Amino acid sequence: MGIQKNMFPRARIPYGTWGSSYFPAWQASPLAEVNIGQFAAEAMNKVLGLRKVPKSELDHLITGSTIPWHWKFWNSPMLASCLGRRVAGCHVEQACATGLKAVLVAAAEVDGGSSDVAGVLTFDRTSDSPVGIFPERRAHRRTEALSDVWDNFGFDPSTGRSMICCAGNAARKYKLDRKEVDELSLCRHEQYFKAQASGFLAKVLVPFEVLDVQGRVRGVIDADTGVARHTLRGLRAMRELDTCITSGTQTHPSDGMACMLVTTREKARELSRKPEIDIQFVAKAEVRTSPSLMPEAPALAVKDLLRRTGVAMKDIAVVKSHNPFAINDAVFAKEFKYNWREMNRTGCSLVWGHPQGPTLTRLLIEGLEEATDLGGGYVLLMGCAAGDVGIAALFRVG
Amino acid sequence: MAKNSSASTTAAKGAFGAPKEKTMTISAMRQPTLETLGLGTVLEIFKNGRLPAGAGELVDQVFGKAGDRGALVISGANGIVGSGKAMQLASRLQPFGVPIVALDFPGAPDGLGKHYPGLAKTFGREGAGRIMESIIRMSYNGHSLPPQLKGLKPRFLLEAIPEILDVKKEHYKIFRSAFPGLDIRSVTSGFPSSELGVGIAHPAFPHEISKIWEIVEPKPTAGTKLLWALGMVPVPVSDNWSFVLDVLFCGATLAALRYHQASNMPYWKIDKYFRKLLGANPFRAHDAIGAKGANFLTWSCLHHLGEQYGELFRPNADLDDRKETGSEYYPLNHFRPLVNWSMGPEEEEDFKVRTLGPLFQMTSLLLHEKRSHLTHINAIGELCAQFRRGILSVIRTEGCDAATKLVNKYHKLHPEAKKCWYPETFEKIGTPEWQQLYVNAEHDGSAGVITISRESYNGDVDAELNRAIDWLKKEKIEKVIISGDFHLSTQMVGADTADFYPALKDVKEGLCISRDWSKTARRLNDDFKVSVGYIGGKRCFGGCLELLLHCHYLVSVEDASLGMPEVTLPVVPGMEGCHWPLRKTAPEKWPELFRLLLTGRPVRAKDAVGWLVDYAGPVDACLKTVWKLVTGADHKLPLRKVNASPLKKLPKDTAQGAEDNAVEAGKKAILECILASCAVTSAEALLVQAKHSAGFMVSSAFHTGKIGSELKKMLEV
Repeated sequence: MGIQKNMFPRARIPYGTWGSSYFPAWQASPLAEVNIGQFAAEAMNKVLGLRKVPKSELDHLITGSTIPWHWKFWNSPMLASCLGRRVAGCHVEQACATGLKAVLVAAAEVDGGSSDVAGVLTFDRTSDSPVGIFPERRAHRRTEALSDVWDNFGFDPSTGRSMICCAGNAARKYKLDRKEVDELSLCRHEQYFKAQASGFLAKVLVPFEVLDVQGRVRGVIDADTGVARHTLRGLRAMRELDTCITSGTQTHPSDGMACMLVTTREKARELSRKPEIDIQFVAKAEVRTSPSLMPEAPALAVKDLLRRTGVAMKDIAVVKSHNPFAINDAVFAKEFKYNWREMNRTGCSLVWGHPQGPTLTRLLIEGLEEATDLGGGYVLLMGCAAGDVGIAALFRVG
Repeated sequence: MAKNSSASTTAAKGAFGAPKEKTMTISAMRQPTLETLGLGTVLEIFKNGRLPAGAGELVDQVFGKAGDRGALVISGANGIVGSGKAMQLASRLQPFGVPIVALDFPGAPDGLGKHYPGLAKTFGREGAGRIMESIIRMSYNGHSLPPQLKGLKPRFLLEAIPEILDVKKEHYKIFRSAFPGLDIRSVTSGFPSSELGVGIAHPAFPHEISKIWEIVEPKPTAGTKLLWALGMVPVPVSDNWSFVLDVLFCGATLAALRYHQASNMPYWKIDKYFRKLLGANPFRAHDAIGAKGANFLTWSCLHHLGEQYGELFRPNADLDDRKETGSEYYPLNHFRPLVNWSMGPEEEEDFKVRTLGPLFQMTSLLLHEKRSHLTHINAIGELCAQFRRGILSVIRTEGCDAATKLVNKYHKLHPEAKKCWYPETFEKIGTPEWQQLYVNAEHDGSAGVITISRESYNGDVDAELNRAIDWLKKEKIEKVIISGDFHLSTQMVGADTADFYPALKDVKEGLCISRDWSKTARRLNDDFKVSVGYIGGKRCFGGCLELLLHCHYLVSVEDASLGMPEVTLPVVPGMEGCHWPLRKTAPEKWPELFRLLLTGRPVRAKDAVGWLVDYAGPVDACLKTVWKLVTGADHKLPLRKVNASPLKKLPKDTAQGAEDNAVEAGKKAILECILASCAVTSAEALLVQAKHSAGFMVSSAFHTGKIGSELKKMLEV
């Protein structure tokens, strides 16, 4: 197999047409009480408005989320209507990889020539997740109830184990040191606050006023509520839930949305706020690791990705990871002998929370914006997903 | 400022080039709009002591004499326009025994029946039944007319079928071949008379209620005069595509659609900003009318205007699509918006350029083509397109230079729209036609009349009224009547509360409004030897009543409802309503005035003689009385002099407690204002009551009351 340089030659991401909501912690904002799909679609319309992209440019919409929401059956077409643009599309779902998979599906649509401007809209509301009632004739209770967020955290049907158990297993396999993991977590939080103070986050995040049924402002989504200000001492003092896992070294559920566009090179120039910037899709990789070792999966995916592209870690300008556990980054750093301080320099999901669907989309947006600030280069994006899956993708900002 | 124009000059051209009829020598600030209907001047009405046209004689002219009455045929009678107009005309023509034939396809959904509940509410079940009985429903196949129609002797056809030119023409052909000489009017909102080959009577929405009709005909006909005599408001316009109303309404919609295209802002939010800027909700209006039909009509008007005038009017892709799908602009109830949108000052400026820019340019076209009397153009926006202030009034406030710059800025965004831009039309802003959009004055060298063509009093009316008074003074007129204009204004509802918005936050603003408007009202008392207020409509309330109470005499038609509803809103009357009427009335009648002020319950004019009005009677008697009063003829009415001294022994509050806190607070504030302003001399009272009125407008009771909360909702987007 040859070196992969451009997986979707026709597709581009137009710089600066993206945006994400802040990710308030679950149950802590007005987003806890809305139809998140509708909110996300209306929010995307507003993001496009702010970015001076008429929504009439959209000819396809790829949506992504993981938690059932009201009228999910109608998925993309319904959300396109809420956005105000009646186009076709489809819904993508692959647990916490959804945010990246949706972008890749959109790129495939453009590359295949069936779309010229595909919207990507990812979102989720972990708050008050629905409870499904399922007839299970083989279960002794005959009918099983599933609380979609909480029960899935605690039970992988393939292995019978919890997410946190995966993290503990990985920490033990890689002989991680609790002290290092605490330091890593503190560093990640410091990186976030630094990015916030520099104004970086304001470039990619959009505040939204949420309305009630009477049209009055119910609240404003203008902060990643849930981000804690830790100290090393405080982290050290936290109770260990499993090896190297404390409440300070793992993420928290949150609500939110993120969106971007994928289009052709010509159209990207037309729509972009900086037409000279060319953002290409280089390659992606997906792996599935051994049972209950999910946190190592992203590193394995990156290995595959670098092997296929011939790109070395030293060539990469920006590394962003979805790290529900701090040990994800510690494992990656150990595998690649990479300084974990050089990753996630503008924040990550360990810090600002994890609404699942849009997490990797926001990470990608932050990564592309950071690479632009740095004058271009490769952006490596990785993350783990339920089922011991790892996903990684490489983008080139030129 | 104002130029003296003479209504008697036969050589002078009317507003649209039609020569004026020779009348008695009457000078006017500008042409009275009544003249455009061939009904003479307002002063002539008072001089003659009767209205210029009577419904009975005009019914005879249009439909034939009793015993030989022909029918009014309305085709497309189950449609939105046809059914609304069938009900409206039937309710007015039924007493004259004019049969109304409602013609439609056999399968047309029952549009007429839908109106019955509303009809019963207005006229009672018995009255509604009579009206419905006068409507004869007939079906036809589109190719030939039902044979029984002949027996009803059709005299007038009001065509309300779909906006398809060929279909309409074919329709006329069928009727003309069956009934040669039949008078035909189309309700079309866009096609000129020259295309259709028939006259136009284009009614405004909502059709069962709105009294406005745009009329296209070479000269005013008996049919048009009949509309006027039946209490409706025909407005002559020239024979151009989409006339005036739909240039403004469809133009506003297109501007809003283009803003939506440029910004992605949802329609509902654009409506809010549009309402804040101009008063209209173009998208809500379409949904309310019925998106399917309204989208098509708007598209049709804009399409033809686009063909005629270019890109300024060309429908955009969004409207093209909605014309086909008939989809509504507002989301369904279960998708009530979740994400708010707002604008900063720069964005608001951009919004203004993108919306007012094209509307100003379209207005320049209306003016260039002399599509109607300027007062008509202005009023149509207010009366039919929800504009808070007419488009000419908005341009006038903006000023010629600023308005021109705004359009030029719009052209930078839409260079393709430059065609049909006539900035020179704005250079005439200083002329009386522009300056007196709402208030006119006429005189015959001895007596004058000031006419107000706006039903609510606002800053524009106040300024124009002052100019009208100045003009009459300059013309050395010492005896004056103040009245509605017998045309556009059919009642007087009080102050336009939209003007109060700045006063919500700044007591000085409220003080200015109350003081200045009160000073204007005082001029009716101080600046003329004799002033006579005339109430000829259904009602006269609030600020308008306060204004007219300043006249030396007040004459009203006997059934007019007079009231001071301020307490229910609540607001404290600020045009001297709290002391002036008390100063003119004997103490034994003060309890009546207290009741009026503190309960908000209106009174019939015939029950208010001697303490609120000086004379009440039938219309012709009122007109004659007004003329006697103003000319000094023997009228036998005593002059109720104003007691300038402090008033003593005012009655205790006789009103019952109010049902809500805001109204109770309003009542208390009004009572305080009465006591304070009556306790001083009339000279001092003007400021005292202004302070009370302004003070109340910054209070929480006002902010939470009907007006305060409505204003905030409208203007704090």
